[in-house]
Amino acid sequence: MGDVIEPVRVRKRFTSYQISQIVVGIAFVAYVTWRLYTTIVIKHSYGLDTWVKFVISGLIIGSVYALITIGYTLVYAILRMINFAHSEVFMVGAFAGFFVFEGLKSFSVGGAGGMPFIDAHPILSIILAFAGGITTSMLTGVTLERIAYRPLRGAPRLVPLISAVGASIFLQNATQLMFGPQRRTFYNLPSLDRNLGWTITVASKPVLITYTGVFTFVLAIILLVSLYLLVQKTRLGRAMRAVSENKQTAALMGIDVDAIISRTFAISGILAGSAGVMWGLHYGQIHSFVGFIPGIKAFTAAVLGGIGNIPGAMVGSMLLGLIESLGPGGLGIDFQLKDVIAFSILVLVLIFRPSGILGEVGSQEKL
Amino acid sequence: MKNKNLRQGVRTGIQMGIVMIFLFLVGAVFILVKLIGDVLPIPPEWSLRSILILIFLLAGAQFSRVTANNAIPLWQDILLKATIAGAVTGLFVGLMTLLFISLQQKGLNLRTYLYQLSPNSLTLWAQGLPAQYAAVFHFLLPLVTYPLGGLLALVFRGLKLKERLSRRIIPTQAFGNHIFAPLTHSLWGKITLYGLVGILLLVVPMRINDYANFILGTVGIYVLMGLGLNIVVGLAGLLDLGYVVFFAVGSYTMALLTAPTPHNILWNFWLVLPIAIALAAIIGVLLGIPVLRLRGDYLAIVTLGFGEIIRVLLRAESLAGFSNGPRGIPKIGQPFLFGIPFNNERDFMYMIILAVILVIFLTIRLQNSKIGRAWIAIREDETVAQAMGINTLKAKLLAFGIGAAFAGLGGALFASRSQFTGPDDFTLMISVNVLAVVIVGGMGSIPGVIAGAFVLKGLPEILRDLESYRILAFGALLVVMMIYRPQGLIPSTRRRLVLRDAKKREGAIEASVPPADERGRS
Repeated sequence: MGDVIEPVRVRKRFTSYQISQIVVGIAFVAYVTWRLYTTIVIKHSYGLDTWVKFVISGLIIGSVYALITIGYTLVYAILRMINFAHSEVFMVGAFAGFFVFEGLKSFSVGGAGGMPFIDAHPILSIILAFAGGITTSMLTGVTLERIAYRPLRGAPRLVPLISAVGASIFLQNATQLMFGPQRRTFYNLPSLDRNLGWTITVASKPVLITYTGVFTFVLAIILLVSLYLLVQKTRLGRAMRAVSENKQTAALMGIDVDAIISRTFAISGILAGSAGVMWGLHYGQIHSFVGFIPGIKAFTAAVLGGIGNIPGAMVGSMLLGLIESLGPGGLGIDFQLKDVIAFSILVLVLIFRPSGILGEVGSQEKL
Repeated sequence: MKNKNLRQGVRTGIQMGIVMIFLFLVGAVFILVKLIGDVLPIPPEWSLRSILILIFLLAGAQFSRVTANNAIPLWQDILLKATIAGAVTGLFVGLMTLLFISLQQKGLNLRTYLYQLSPNSLTLWAQGLPAQYAAVFHFLLPLVTYPLGGLLALVFRGLKLKERLSRRIIPTQAFGNHIFAPLTHSLWGKITLYGLVGILLLVVPMRINDYANFILGTVGIYVLMGLGLNIVVGLAGLLDLGYVVFFAVGSYTMALLTAPTPHNILWNFWLVLPIAIALAAIIGVLLGIPVLRLRGDYLAIVTLGFGEIIRVLLRAESLAGFSNGPRGIPKIGQPFLFGIPFNNERDFMYMIILAVILVIFLTIRLQNSKIGRAWIAIREDETVAQAMGINTLKAKLLAFGIGAAFAGLGGALFASRSQFTGPDDFTLMISVNVLAVVIVGGMGSIPGVIAGAFVLKGLPEILRDLESYRILAFGALLVVMMIYRPQGLIPSTRRRLVLRDAKKREGAIEASVPPADERGRS
């Protein structure tokens, strides 16, 4: 009657996986601290100006990644599938921008002997290049969904994934066959020269901030903010969120699911296309496999931020950009290995927090 | 009714127009002409014309397809639709021709931008005519051919050839069973069958030349890797896009431990072979641990990344002291057996055959074991498999490890056979090729993988001209297979049944929801 029930004490035990997690975590932290200590405190490998340069290039590449990452994240949120061919949507946009520039270069205004159009109206040319890139990427994305993914809705998970891989390979090689294997160099606009910019002084040394870099960064931020507003504030955004929660219920609420999915691919295409043109303007060189590495990195960023989560995608991309540009310098390793760093990040995230920085913990359904 | 005809015609016309422009820009038309020219003594103009006519006839034939309510369309409708579609396609192709040919005849070199449009190809396309006539020709061709194709198809349908043929001939599958059943179901039949195959495998490598042995050996290595990936993708349902990693591990283990250059270890081939296999398996498990707890998609992209990383690492100058960097490793050791060196393609062919037989045996045993059934359960539904008491992580790790071990074996043989290995042997395309072998052949099916390796790796070796188009075709093939025949060329029985059920279920859902464009209007 008056017995007090003793609470059963469960001794907390670590599973072997948790133990290995802890071991890997400690090893990782120890390694990074040691390397950072050697390069920064002991060796003074780089001055402050170099670090600033690293940060700037990290932010620029991060903003380009962000635009691609959003494409992965939006499609993943809605279809629970990785759009493998997204990196090719990006590449196609870059090529379209290149061809618009080449076209505008070839005819001149004001009769024969006049200036080429591209030099006479640089701003208009840039707008046209973006329009071309965005349209091509958008069409590619929508067609891709229509041909390669829509017939496979409801099939086992592996099936659309393989189809996406196939589409990606197809697009890469089709572009290569059409336009040739050589690298293409974007026309360097005199008014937005890749090598010019503002110079600031850090630690009494000049640091160049290129115009194209600033342009890329600002434009990417504008696009990202407008995307966020689109998803949160408009009818289309609400429909997209509804479809991402539950397709059947959304269909019952009168949402045309197919149309929403199609529009999601269009939006991803728009962002990827503008990222492609920015890539061309800032980095200059494109080829048919240019999308591959940024594509994988963007996926990494999507996982880092929490896949299916839009603010997460932006944060993850910026973070990844910074890690990637600061990493080789900070750890004092070969710059060739910067892709290895990005990938180690992906693996570490998957070990410690597979739901990402801003993702909900424990939402197994989404993993 | 008229309106519908118009819409359908215009849509098909636009689709075909885009396809034609694509085929033109990619240069597929020209390579086909060249291939025909190699085989048959036909002038290129005529083979171009016949290819185009064939494509357009087939496109036109689509219009005589049986409609949704099982009625054969009227010939007037077919004619109308085909003419409209032909006009639209003609407009696309004709305008494109006008543009490119007139640009070329103005003296512009189109090849700087569009790689396939060499002057020769363009002259061929224009048939030696000036731009405007060429354009008219390409406009008229589909316009005339489409209705013809539609009507011809209608006539063929009227003849009911298909039904007559199928009544006369026993359906292929039953036919196959009829022949093979006595062979595979009785002891003596089995002995005869295996004896025949054994004799064939012994004799063939001896009768053919070194080059053929080399190609067959490559096919054999792909069979090895295909069977390994088949366990990972086909049985356990884990999409691994970085399969090349384990191939590379096998190759480099063999290279580093038997070659004189970076370390001068010079161990015996037979000692290193198990080490290579074991190392590949260990790496497989280590890579699998962080990723395999999550669902499939992550695995795909992480393995894709690893596939790239391994190449970056092998290339890196800073690690050249260990791996010899981008220069690769020459003079890899070759096996000795009873003092006899294996040093030509034929000896290696025998070894590869032996390895393939061993791996096939292992796969069959695994497939029908407890772990094999666990893999299939995981592939079908991971949650249910877990509820049934399967340790999914363990099973997946095992699949990954065994798959990796097979690739390690393939890699070790590959390195020893070619006596040289370098980072450029391990591109993403290897992973893609192996994946295509598994998927085209039929996931989870051993004969499928063998057939897939022969079709995808053996055939293109013969048609060398198609090299650059092969990968393009792989990509298209993956998509098309997934849409029309996800079970592969020679499907495993279980998978065929599953996919059929899935289709049925999907059909039931679709029937209960009105089509999208009706929903949009209301």
